[in-house]
Amino acid sequence: MRKSLQMMATTGLLGYGFSEDAFRHGMGMDLDFIAADGGSMDPGPHYLGAGVPFVSRKSLKRDIGLMLEGALEKGIPMLIGSAGGSGSSPQVDLVREVVEEIAAERDYHFKMAVIKADQSKDYLHAKQRAGKIEPLGPIDEMTPETIDETHQVVAMMGVEPFQEALKAGAQVVLAGRATDASIYSAIPLMHGYDPGLVWHLSKIIECAGAVIVPKTGEGCVVGTLNSDHFLVAPCHPDSRCTRMSIAAHTLYENPSPYHLEEPEGTVVTVDSVYEQYDKRTVKVSGSRFERSNRYTVKLEGVREAGFRTVFIAGARDPGLIAIIDDYIEFCRQRVRREVAVLGIGAEEYKLAIHVYGKSGTMGSREPVKDAQPHEIGILAEVMADDEEISKAVMAKARLALLHSDFQGRKCISGNLAIPFSPSDIPVGPTYEFNMWHIMEINDPLEPFSIDLVDV
Amino acid sequence: MASLSELTSVLRSKNAGALLCTLDLMFADQVTYERVRDCGVINSERIASLYNVSQNQVSIIPYDVAYAIKITVPRLVPSGSFGDTDIYGAQQHGPLLNIEIPD
Repeated sequence: MRKSLQMMATTGLLGYGFSEDAFRHGMGMDLDFIAADGGSMDPGPHYLGAGVPFVSRKSLKRDIGLMLEGALEKGIPMLIGSAGGSGSSPQVDLVREVVEEIAAERDYHFKMAVIKADQSKDYLHAKQRAGKIEPLGPIDEMTPETIDETHQVVAMMGVEPFQEALKAGAQVVLAGRATDASIYSAIPLMHGYDPGLVWHLSKIIECAGAVIVPKTGEGCVVGTLNSDHFLVAPCHPDSRCTRMSIAAHTLYENPSPYHLEEPEGTVVTVDSVYEQYDKRTVKVSGSRFERSNRYTVKLEGVREAGFRTVFIAGARDPGLIAIIDDYIEFCRQRVRREVAVLGIGAEEYKLAIHVYGKSGTMGSREPVKDAQPHEIGILAEVMADDEEISKAVMAKARLALLHSDFQGRKCISGNLAIPFSPSDIPVGPTYEFNMWHIMEINDPLEPFSIDLVDV
Repeated sequence: MASLSELTSVLRSKNAGALLCTLDLMFADQVTYERVRDCGVINSERIASLYNVSQNQVSIIPYDVAYAIKITVPRLVPSGSFGDTDIYGAQQHGPLLNIEIPD
């Protein structure tokens, strides 16, 4: 085994950017590979459902352009995971198109692996029948119906598809949905580094700039693996990693900072020791990896949830604000009666009315029940399987909210300040998560397909 | 007495996946951290009532190395499902701000 191995994480999310200055400082180091995570489920189910990224194509092209230039110049691998946001096939294809466009413009040539993470319904049915799929948290058991109604589903790959692609000679790996840490763990594990250290380092650097102080958007973090510890430092000389910024990062977006789940086991940080190595660098040791007796991949899937129409308005009348909850209930009843006349049953739509200034942010969890703000914002949303029904219900809801009477009403020409014309905003088809499960597999490569292409 | 709003250096919420919301309380020094950790006020009963969930759905993990306490509860609805008000879960820490911690 080599003495040490160095990797650079350019950005926590491909397309969110990093400074060219920090990147060039990083490329000046003795790097073994560079990588970036391309995805997150944080922006919600729409992006997986619609197969589109939540960053712009321009920003993707900028980030990828710099990374390709650096990797090719140094002759080192470049790995992208969860390409395009959710790592589904149309999103991976879009990122591939950007890569090939840059290569064509600059006359770059390299071998690229494109790994897909989409799952077929037949495959999922077989796994479900064999009892190999179970919920990951508070969600229903998976049934054949869950699978049948799914619109798009991806599995999160571990390190093995990346390793397979690299062994086949790929210099650039463009992968669909992958665990964030697998992107960074694949190469070090091939070289035999301690899995506890490898996985923990990967967990820390996958968010790149998140562990850097001050937060000036430089991004680019370099991780150095040794046999009994690892080091983390920012690439930009004016930035620092502190013992606290590194230790605290294990908290981020995880239910536990001590146990971090991966396909083949659990990263255990109970005995991890964090030390300030120099002014800008943190040293970590003592992390362990506990191998599981089974190999599981997470499934993320969405189903169609109907067509949403939204409507936003303000209210400034103190008499209305004082009785807004009762008023909204009255309006809901009025909408129900008036859409019934149009032949729309109550079961054909869902109507939610959020009141900003009172409980718009937390809904039923809002602890302040008696707020009396001088103005409120009203956000109404209608969901229906049929887009025309969605629009028709919203038109009635808008009318009811604008022109219903309430006790002591003086503002009789209208109860709302409507900021836009048109006032009702159809946002098209929407999706909701229906799969958030884990699936046991025997072969870590089985659910994933690898294509090797000469660019 | 002092509120968590006064005692924490970071008080944040965020999705831990599409189904869970995780809340991090971070403190600037060990003394403040241990005062809050050991006072008994941050318990699953209190959190369950603040977030309208059952006690067995609440996870509370003290994290000594970063002077932090991590609390995780289920989201009201999965991220992005109908009626969700906070896709990223980034503004669900409000109910914790006014919790009073004894001296």
